[in-house]
Amino acid sequence: MNFVEFLINRADDMLELGLQHAAVVGVSVLLATAIGVGLGVASYRQPRSREAILAITGAFLTIPSFALFILLIGPLGLGFLPVVVALTMYGLLPIVRNTITGLREVDPSIIESALGMGMSRAQVLRQIELPLAWPVIITGVRVTTLVLLGIAAIGSIVLGPGYGDLIFTGLARVGTPVAVNLVLAGTLGVVVLAILFDVLFYVIRKLTTSEGIR
Amino acid sequence: MTPSTGPGGTGKVMIRLENLSKRFPGQKTDAVANLSLDIYEGEIVVLVGPSGCGKTTTMKMINRIVEPTSGRIILDGEDVTAADPDALRRRIGYVIQQVGLFPHQTIGENVATVPKLLGWDKARVSARVDELLNMVNMAPETFRDRYPKQLSGGQRQRVGVARALGANPDVMLMDEPFGAIDPITRDRLQNEFLRLQREVRKTIVFVTHDIDEALKMGDRIAILQGPSQIAQYDTPEQILTAPASDFVSDFIGRGASLKRLDLSHVSDITLTQWPTVRVGAEHAQVLDVLRRSDKGAVLVLDDAGRPRRWVGADDLDRANGRPLDQIGLPPEAVVEPHATLSDALNELITARFSVSIVVDATGVYQGVVDIDQITDAIRSMRSEAVARARKRLDATPNTRAPQPAGAATPTPDAPVTGS
Repeated sequence: MNFVEFLINRADDMLELGLQHAAVVGVSVLLATAIGVGLGVASYRQPRSREAILAITGAFLTIPSFALFILLIGPLGLGFLPVVVALTMYGLLPIVRNTITGLREVDPSIIESALGMGMSRAQVLRQIELPLAWPVIITGVRVTTLVLLGIAAIGSIVLGPGYGDLIFTGLARVGTPVAVNLVLAGTLGVVVLAILFDVLFYVIRKLTTSEGIR
Repeated sequence: MTPSTGPGGTGKVMIRLENLSKRFPGQKTDAVANLSLDIYEGEIVVLVGPSGCGKTTTMKMINRIVEPTSGRIILDGEDVTAADPDALRRRIGYVIQQVGLFPHQTIGENVATVPKLLGWDKARVSARVDELLNMVNMAPETFRDRYPKQLSGGQRQRVGVARALGANPDVMLMDEPFGAIDPITRDRLQNEFLRLQREVRKTIVFVTHDIDEALKMGDRIAILQGPSQIAQYDTPEQILTAPASDFVSDFIGRGASLKRLDLSHVSDITLTQWPTVRVGAEHAQVLDVLRRSDKGAVLVLDDAGRPRRWVGADDLDRANGRPLDQIGLPPEAVVEPHATLSDALNELITARFSVSIVVDATGVYQGVVDIDQITDAIRSMRSEAVARARKRLDATPNTRAPQPAGAATPTPDAPVTGS
C-alpha cells in the first residue's frame, strides 16, 4: 500500500485527529495569549519584574517536553488537560517577549501627547499602546502556535489528542511496512495544520491592524 | 503698551507659577529652581533659553507631565498643584515638537481625542472636528479619513494644533512646535498660527531655543538663564531695546535693531505724503504740481485712488499727448499697513524713488515711507526704551533685597529671579 492509498484509506482518521490537534493547540494558544499578554502588560514598565518573567517563561521552554508531559500525569492525569497545561507553559515566552517588545517600542512622544491630552494610564494602554503593539504581539502568538503544533504531537504519550497518535503508533510498529506511512501521515497532518494556522494569522493580522500602521 | 496687558491681554493672570522647583530622581541639582512667573490671559508667552535652562521642564510642570518637586501652580485662580492631572490636562492644549499624532487613528479620530474623553456626543464631536480642521486650513473632506503617515510634516503639525484645540481649552502649551519643520514651511505655519491666535486668543506658553522665533511669536518673552534665573521677562520690543543683562544681549545676538524692525508695522508710524495727481489731469497741471514739490516725479492715481504710474517731467516731454497712465513707470514697492517696517525697508532700498508706497487693503493710496522715517522709528524706539529703563532704575531701591516670594511680573526691575 503506498502512502497516497494509505491517506485515502485513513481520511476519516486524518480529519478527526486534525480537528483534535487543532483544538488542543487552539485552546493552549488562547490561554497562553491571555496569560502572556497579561504578564507582558503587567511587567513591561518595571525592569526587574520584566527580566524575571522573561527568565521564568524562558526556563519553561528548556524543560524537555517528554519529561514535562510525564511529570504532569501525577497532578493532572492523562488526556487533554495535561497537554493543554504543558503547551500553555511552552507557549508563554514568544507571546510575553513580543508583548513587552511591542509595548516598549511605542514612540514615547505619542504616549506623552496622549497623557498630555488627559488620557489616563489605562486609556493610554488600551487605546494607544496595545493597538500600536498589536502587530508585534500577534507575531508572537503566531510563533507560539507553530511551536505548539509540533510539541502537541508529543502529547500523545499521555494519551493527548491529535496527530501524535499516528506517530507513536508508527513508533510502536517500527520495522513493519505501515510504520513509515503512519509517521509520515502524522507529520504531514502537522505541517498542513501549520500552513492553515499561518494563513489564519495572516488574515487576523490584516483585519485587526489599523491601516495607519500597516 | 502698558506692562500689565499685552496686545491680546486682559491683564488677568491666567497661569501663576509660584516658587516652582524640579529635581529629577538621581540628579544632584535642580532642573528648575524656585521659579516664579505670571502669565497673562490671551498672551503668547515664550520661554526661551539655551539648552539645559529648564524651559521645557518648566512648561511641562504646568500640565504636570513633569510633577514639580515643590512650589505651586495656579491656573485661572485655582491651585491645581494637587488636582487630578487627567482632568487638568483636558483643560490644557498640548503640542510637542514630534507632534505625537496617533498613527493608528485617522486625522479625524486624532482631532476628536479630547472631545471624546470629555464624553461629547457623536454629532457634536464630528462637527467640532470639521470646524477645527477648517481652522488650520486642512479641508475636512480631504483629510478627515487619512492617516498621519499620509501627511507631510507641516500638515501633521497643523493637525497637532487642531487636536490641541479640541475642546477649546483656555490654555495651550507648545514645546518647540515648529522645530522639526523646514524653514519655509515653518515661517508659513508661524504666520498661520499667529492669525489663528488673533481669532482664538488663547493663553499660550511656547517653548523654543530660537530667539528669532521667540521675537516673532511672543507677546512676552521669558529668557531663562539657568535653573534658577529668568534673565528677563518682557515684551519683545523691550528685550530688543533694553536688554537687562549681558547674557540677554548675547542671547539676542547681533542685529537687534534690524530685528526690531520686524516688530513694528507701517501702521505704527506716520506716513509722508508724496505729490499725486489724478489720472485724468492735464499735463500742465502735473507740471505745476511737480514744480511746487521738491520731487522728481508725481504719483498718478486712478479714479479709485489706487497708484498707477510714476510720471516725471521728462516723461511729460516725451508724452506726445498720450494719457498719464500710459507714460512713466509702473509703481513698485507697494506695501500694506500691516507690513513690517522691515518689509518696507526691504522694498524701498530697491525702489526707484527710495520710498515704499503704502496702500490700504483695497489698494487705495495712503502715503509713502522713506528711509528717514525708518531711522526715526528706530531712534524713537531706542529713546523710549532708554527712558523706560531709566524709570525702572530710579524706581528701584539701591539695596538689592532678594525678590519676595511673589511671582515675577514683567514690570519690576530685571533680572527677575527666584529668591
